[in-house]
Amino acid sequence: MGQPAIAVHVLRKSFGTKEAVAGIDLEIAAGSFAGLVGPNGAGKTTSLSMMTGLLRPDAGQVVINGLDVWADPVAAKAIIGVVPSEARLFERLSGEELLEYAGRLHGLPAGEARSRAEQLLNVLDLAEDARRLVADYSTGMRRKASLGCALIHNPMVLFLDEPLEGVDPVSGDVIRRLLTRFVRSGSTVLFSSHVMELVEQVCDHVSIIDKGHIVMTGTIDQVRGGKTLQQAFIDLVGARAADEEVLSWLGSSSS
Amino acid sequence: MARLLVQLKLHLLRNALRSSAGAKVGFIASTIGAGLVAAGAFAILALLRGNAASVYLTSVIFTVFAFGWLMLPLLAFGLDGTLDPATLALYPLRTRPLAVGLLAASATGAWPLANVLGLLGVTVGLASDGFGLLVAVLAVLLQVLFCITLARFVTTGMAGVLRSRRGRDLAIFLVIPLFALYEAFAQLVPRLSAEGKLTPASFAGVDAWLRWLPPGLAAHAIRDASTGHPGTALLRLALLAGVIVVLGWLWVGSLRRALVTADASTQGSAVRAARLPFAGYGLRGTVAARFWVYQRRDPLSLMYWGVTPVIMLAASVSTITTPRYLVGVLLSAAFAGAFVGFFHSNSIAMSGPGFAVEAVALTGRRALRAYFTGQNIALGIIGVPLLAVVSFGIAAVAGHPVNGFLGLAVDLAGLGAGLAMSNILTVGLAYPVEKRAGSPAPRPADGFAGHPLGGTLSCLAVVGITLIPVIVACLTTHGAPAGIRMPLLVLGAAGYGLALVWAGMRIAAATAAQKLPELTQIAIRSKL
Repeated sequence: MGQPAIAVHVLRKSFGTKEAVAGIDLEIAAGSFAGLVGPNGAGKTTSLSMMTGLLRPDAGQVVINGLDVWADPVAAKAIIGVVPSEARLFERLSGEELLEYAGRLHGLPAGEARSRAEQLLNVLDLAEDARRLVADYSTGMRRKASLGCALIHNPMVLFLDEPLEGVDPVSGDVIRRLLTRFVRSGSTVLFSSHVMELVEQVCDHVSIIDKGHIVMTGTIDQVRGGKTLQQAFIDLVGARAADEEVLSWLGSSSS
Repeated sequence: MARLLVQLKLHLLRNALRSSAGAKVGFIASTIGAGLVAAGAFAILALLRGNAASVYLTSVIFTVFAFGWLMLPLLAFGLDGTLDPATLALYPLRTRPLAVGLLAASATGAWPLANVLGLLGVTVGLASDGFGLLVAVLAVLLQVLFCITLARFVTTGMAGVLRSRRGRDLAIFLVIPLFALYEAFAQLVPRLSAEGKLTPASFAGVDAWLRWLPPGLAAHAIRDASTGHPGTALLRLALLAGVIVVLGWLWVGSLRRALVTADASTQGSAVRAARLPFAGYGLRGTVAARFWVYQRRDPLSLMYWGVTPVIMLAASVSTITTPRYLVGVLLSAAFAGAFVGFFHSNSIAMSGPGFAVEAVALTGRRALRAYFTGQNIALGIIGVPLLAVVSFGIAAVAGHPVNGFLGLAVDLAGLGAGLAMSNILTVGLAYPVEKRAGSPAPRPADGFAGHPLGGTLSCLAVVGITLIPVIVACLTTHGAPAGIRMPLLVLGAAGYGLALVWAGMRIAAATAAQKLPELTQIAIRSKL
């Protein structure tokens, strides 16, 4: 393998006494469609925030395409795109203005930013709502607008945190196809999710994180080990079912 | 149903004491406030005894209470969970028992009780015999019932709108007239009273039409009952009860509709401008464009710009028609600069999670200088003409329009100092904010309650100190010909203001470059 697109070394972050990320190591090859999966509170969002320069780590190193995110943030941020878990957008801009703004922030000339914004809005099926305020967008539309902002400067590496959460199947398919095309061109995607089916469908590499530790990483087949990813995941992080017998009253046959 | 909803309200009130320290303090302060209002209203109404204008003043006070009941739910929608029919729409409830239950829930709590107790001051101030006392108690109960029904009718009818983004936007604008009313009351009433221009008899004219409104009916019923007109008194009470019944009937209909009507929260309209302005000015222009759009579309920004002239007028109103008018002209301009600075002194956190979009692109001092300069340009484009118009307006009302140039000089220097402070505080005293039920504007997140006060005091102190040379120059050059003095003062102050804002921007950018991830996290924590 050549130089990895994403290399994370002993990345660590604590909030008070809680260790959210406990010194993780991760390497993602260029051109990969990689997934970071884990249960709620496992440290996925914290890890991605540190990898993208949005949250200062307590220790560790993040290198994107040879650029250290925390030593040279300007250069590193220029080549990445980020879609956060909650769509962090400027609510009082229209969709069109938002994408143009994101493009211009990344240094695109105004004309180019406008033209790319228009094209992305078309592909993301937001053209009809391009002049509506983002504040009036639905969850799926916000997610797509957020993806547009992350893609407008054509990043080499794209980070997405729960990209399909709250997105309808049609929009989900649009996003999936766009990302697949993006990866096919040689770019890299790392996204977090707790939807195993989605990861299994689109990813060629997966890492499982639990309680701040990477408990397994490798190709999809390596991590599955002959089982479904869902089963492999549950085996690794442990089933957390509570005693259901106490709900004996629940169901049509009970009264 | 009534019992259940009253219990729900009591649970909500009790839980306020179990939540965060800020909410706890707010609840305790609100309860103390209710007690003070009760005691104050009772005392004022009781002290009217024997006053020839007692019924006029009682009418006005009853109307003010009704106005409060009408306005508060619009501003504080969401504070009382029982106000929003959507929270109850999921349950199999019949409308009429639900309406009775909601009324009972509304009547539960410190404020409704404070209303009843406070207004009972009429038993001392206006009622005179046994029948008068009986009518007074009935009138107070009907007045409070009217207020509750009115508030319920308005909030239920507008629940869909109030829950929507647009409704919340509009609610913010109510702050401007309310602030203006408060200032007018606080500044003009004591002054006019002292000058003898405002006496209890002055309210007779207002009462001429207030007496036909429900609160006026209640007040006049007590007066009639106490002056030997029992028939008229009972007729007025019956009319008031009729109004309440009609209002209640309308409310039940509105509630029935609200339970099965979708809100309009996702029905947004298109914006006219398709392109961001200032395209040819690089990152600085890009950021200026975003701030410029926000100043026009963000209701909070519009509210700030709306409140600024009110602050200026409030600072000048006491001296504007006196020989000391110049104090008002200069003081209003100084306050304007300080408050413009304070209003934008947490701009990164107030950008909310959207700042992450900017943070990904903004790194390094140079980019951050462009960021703050862009922000200052957008604010200056609005601030300079607005402050200039108000300053010249104040000077014109004072009868010395030329001295508007002195106000303009202080405006320019003050705005420079204010914007410099806004940049510095945005980085140095950043704090996450949250939009909470009961507050149309975002409030500091828990643990940051003191930050806005720190920001206000810093802005007032620094702007005040930095303006000393400009004010001294304005006051000591009055002997010079205006044709030379005014342009020199305005140009000098403009240069001084630019130097201040330039220095503030440099300091802020240098500091922000060291702590951009921390500032980003603060912005992400903000819930707008």
